[in-house]
Amino acid sequence: MLNTLKDIVRKSSIHVCIVNCGGCNGCDVELVALLSPRYDLEQYGIYVHNNPREADVLLLTGAVTEQWVTDLKKIYDKTPEPKIVVSVGNCPVSGCIFNQEGGKVYAPASNFIPVDASIPGCPPRPTEILEAILAVGPDAIAQRGREDK
Amino acid sequence: MILPIGPIHPGLKEPLRLKLQTEGERVVKAEIEYGYVHRGIEKIMEGKTWQKAIYLSERVCGICSYDHTQTFAETIEKISGVEAPLRAQFLRVITNELDRIQSHLLANSTFFKCLDHETLFMQVLDMREYIMDSIELLTGNRVNMGWNVVGGVKMDADERLFKPILDNLKIVEEQLPFTRELYAEGPVVGLRSKGVGLMSKKEAIKGRAVGPIGRGSGIKYDFRQEQPTYVDHLDFKPIWRKEGDNYARNLNRFDEIPESISLIRQAIDNMPKGDYRIPVDIKTGFDTHKNEAPRGEVTYMIETNGNLIKHISIRTPSISNIDACARYMLDGVATVADAVATYASSDPCIACTERVAIVDEHGESVKKDFYEVI
Repeated sequence: MLNTLKDIVRKSSIHVCIVNCGGCNGCDVELVALLSPRYDLEQYGIYVHNNPREADVLLLTGAVTEQWVTDLKKIYDKTPEPKIVVSVGNCPVSGCIFNQEGGKVYAPASNFIPVDASIPGCPPRPTEILEAILAVGPDAIAQRGREDK
Repeated sequence: MILPIGPIHPGLKEPLRLKLQTEGERVVKAEIEYGYVHRGIEKIMEGKTWQKAIYLSERVCGICSYDHTQTFAETIEKISGVEAPLRAQFLRVITNELDRIQSHLLANSTFFKCLDHETLFMQVLDMREYIMDSIELLTGNRVNMGWNVVGGVKMDADERLFKPILDNLKIVEEQLPFTRELYAEGPVVGLRSKGVGLMSKKEAIKGRAVGPIGRGSGIKYDFRQEQPTYVDHLDFKPIWRKEGDNYARNLNRFDEIPESISLIRQAIDNMPKGDYRIPVDIKTGFDTHKNEAPRGEVTYMIETNGNLIKHISIRTPSISNIDACARYMLDGVATVADAVATYASSDPCIACTERVAIVDEHGESVKKDFYEVI
């Protein structure tokens, strides 16, 4: 009974924190576009709050630069359980174009924290990001909540 | 007390640490710490052909990505001693101005989000989507357009594309006066932004503020006045204000949008016929080129060796704007909430800035006051 109640609550109210760990900013712009009335992220019960201490979902963008090597794990640890990590764009997956000779990036992000889902694209369209968050978000958070018990 | 804000904070979209020295709620001094987004982009470009380097230059910054490719292409054209065909120049004007409109709308929406004014935030973002549609129609992409090549633009455009773009611009033009009035004359926004984050003209010159930030403080300087395409073929006047506060900076950005729309109309109406791309034989040499990006002037210095890039250095407007913000605008702001809004009004773009660190001869970073050099 309690679990069912918790599931319902967790599924219908998701707080999101955007963590830009060293990208070109393009994915962040598309995430801001998600808040616009056309895509309206908040009608699905998703709220972008940008505070890791209150987040259920960490949206990771960018190709882990030097400062984020240690800080990314700290941010992840500060996020309360249950939590999931969704990476947006090519950068957290492979480092995209920055991961070549001369570049100072330490991609992929999954070397530092567990990543649950990835949305490739440079940058992905807002609808794709929305679809991915909705596909993986609510059920995964509810399931994580039950696993902890 | 020293209050650190960031790198992850509700008010900031990009990672950066803002250190505010406060007395009670009043901000006495502010300092900014960079270094969270350094990717070594200039180093990667070295030894690459222009086809690869222009792809990288687009990813210096995601918001004003278009202007970086245009400046890069024009610098290489300058080195090779050719000029893009007139049709390509006009097509570049259209994309440049569309990019400027969406960037200004995004900057203003961030400011309204910091003030927690949801109505304006939503209205401005709604307008922006029509511009994004136009960009996608013309170039095929929403953010990183891939539109410029050395010697012109990638694709030709015709009436079938121009008509929906003009329709979208008409929608924005109809919505804009209402939103602008809500901002300019609404009591809540006025109280939170008039007289906050003051920067005088003298301070703006000392802090090297450029673009709408400098023009909001009374510097009558728009680099488009010196660009041949704009001067010779298009009718355009720069917008500036003299108040120098958050209110003026945002209103300046609002007022530049109709000017950009008129430029796009002129470019579409007077579109010359001819080639949209010419082959370019790239020469060895060195040159500098400037352009007016949405945030101010962006400079590219490129040295080529045959058709390879030997050395490149990029100067973006954000670095001087953010420094001017930390030194002058945040000085004496009444509350910490206003400090975050003031920071947002300077239209910061961190991804643009992260290429340079100043070090002394032992390799240690130097904190030097550059403001009194002039």
